[in-house]
Amino acid sequence: MPSNYPGFKYSTDRETFSSAKAKALESLLIEKGIITGDTVNKILSYFETEMGPFNGAKIVAKAWVDPDFKNLLLEDCNAACEQMDFPEGMSGAEGEHMRIVENTPEVHNVIVCTLCSCYPWPTLGLPPYWFKDPTFRARVVREPRQVLSEFGVQLEESVQIKVWDSSAQIRWWVLPMRPAGTEGMSEAQLANLLTPEAMMGVATVKV
Amino acid sequence: MFTQFEHFAATSLMGSPGEAPPRQDGHLQFEREWEKLAFGVAIALSKQGYFEWEDFRQTLIETIHHWEATHDLTDPEWDYYQCWLTALEKLTIGTGLIQTEELEAHMIQLLDCKSEPQE
Repeated sequence: MPSNYPGFKYSTDRETFSSAKAKALESLLIEKGIITGDTVNKILSYFETEMGPFNGAKIVAKAWVDPDFKNLLLEDCNAACEQMDFPEGMSGAEGEHMRIVENTPEVHNVIVCTLCSCYPWPTLGLPPYWFKDPTFRARVVREPRQVLSEFGVQLEESVQIKVWDSSAQIRWWVLPMRPAGTEGMSEAQLANLLTPEAMMGVATVKV
Repeated sequence: MFTQFEHFAATSLMGSPGEAPPRQDGHLQFEREWEKLAFGVAIALSKQGYFEWEDFRQTLIETIHHWEATHDLTDPEWDYYQCWLTALEKLTIGTGLIQTEELEAHMIQLLDCKSEPQE
């Protein structure tokens, strides 16, 4: 039987070829007993279910409806995280502390960092590419109002802007203001309104 | 905070926009099924100790640099997971986990199999 296999030429159909290569690698490794059939799914589900901005969203939503929890969160973010039903290790075990700062009608907070390791991963997921851009960081520090307006956040002149530079010791994130018109919403509905950008301070929460 | 290997592996790639996997809204973004396979297999092999994660990272960086050196930077053919898959292939073969011949044979089988749905 003649083979349809055209040899190692990407020009033929790169997609079919790449798909076949990835599948071949996986199935050979399964045949050899190196990985199992559900290994890839387990790894992916870790990223999908245990780590991401929805953790931060749940925390913020709870803080919006529960004043005691909000006080604890502002006081001791890691202790508040421990009260949530999150997987082991989510609250920062090794002295790397997360701190949250609250947006109010008078003060708007923004976080920056030059090192990826300073991003509050457990609550916000993977940092967006522009977050690490040296230009972004330098400009946020120098002209935060201008940078925020480029993100679509127009603040009154009277609102003070605070920029928080994360370090290996403290990873900052933002507790956004609860928007008007959400009075009857459940925690889950509130959590759905949140975005990583809102919890970084480069967006506001909209209904 | 790096209590999970998956966590550590993904953050270690956040060094530069070119090196970091595509994301959307704080999540990893996969456009094709095979990207997920390539991503998951690489992390699984390193997690189980078949190679150091840093070796994978360096191989990925080299692959990306090689692509950049041989293509126009605005070339629309640029494909992050293509580089990822190439890096994974280099390491699985380089460490002797898989032989070039068996990989080729298996691919021929898959490419010849018409009943296999294409993803």
